[in-house]
Amino acid sequence: MTPVLVGVGSAVAVVVMLFGFGTTLAGRRFGLLHAVAVGLIEAVLLVQTAVVLVGLSRGHDLADAPTFWGYLAGVLLIPVLAGLWAWTEPTRWAGTQVALGALAVAVMEWRLLQLWEGTGA
Amino acid sequence: MPERSTLGSPAAQGAPGAGAVRALVVVYAVFALAAGARATVQLSTRFDEAPVAYLLSAFAAAVYVVATVGLARGGGRGRRTALVAITVELVGVLAIGTLSLIDPAAFPDETVWSAFGRGYYFVPLVLPVLGLLLLSRRPAAQNPPKSPPPKSPPPKSPPPNSPPPE
Repeated sequence: MTPVLVGVGSAVAVVVMLFGFGTTLAGRRFGLLHAVAVGLIEAVLLVQTAVVLVGLSRGHDLADAPTFWGYLAGVLLIPVLAGLWAWTEPTRWAGTQVALGALAVAVMEWRLLQLWEGTGA
Repeated sequence: MPERSTLGSPAAQGAPGAGAVRALVVVYAVFALAAGARATVQLSTRFDEAPVAYLLSAFAAAVYVVATVGLARGGGRGRRTALVAITVELVGVLAIGTLSLIDPAAFPDETVWSAFGRGYYFVPLVLPVLGLLLLSRRPAAQNPPKSPPPKSPPPKSPPPNSPPPE
């Protein structure tokens, strides 16, 4: 887990967030692009999880393991849940629902990095 | 099942405010998850350090879960449930926020509501206010909201008895 990877993850999430808010403004409901956007975030997060597992197997130490695993699980779940929720949304707010999930991921990525590096309480 | 066009088909109108309330569900679910995970970790790994603060963490998590479920279910009952939970949330964040600043020793480890949710970019302070505003904006689809929805209101009624200018 590296700042670069977290940077990519949160950058993708921010782009998805802007796209989501945009489709609310445009008055569109959940479409293929929303699904692709959520999938893109999830793909980066899965790569990140793989990097984490490799790092741990090579002896990386976690200062606060329970909190780290909580954040890792949460960050993996949120885009999926937000995406499914938005999929069932018949109004233009579907995009906002995707966007809010993406925003949460963008923020949590940096907290996850802190926990990985053992900096910050 | 929604149509799978690239950018999504044009949105349904829906009851005013209902979609926005369901968007709020995402934020509430994130906080239910965050507060719940935090409380679980605190209670299971270091309960003895600050039992009161950690029990408050668990209480906050429960409040977020109830609010999330209430908002997600919608309808009269769901809205009432959410209204109660969000009111408790607002009181909680104000009370804990104030207490944690007056008596920091009682809160050695932060809860979601410490210092008015500073650790969470003050979202815990803004969220209940936003929730109460959105819930009060849609009184059971009876009266139209003060600010009309961006598109045309559902049935375009003919202009009300405007006196003919003859």
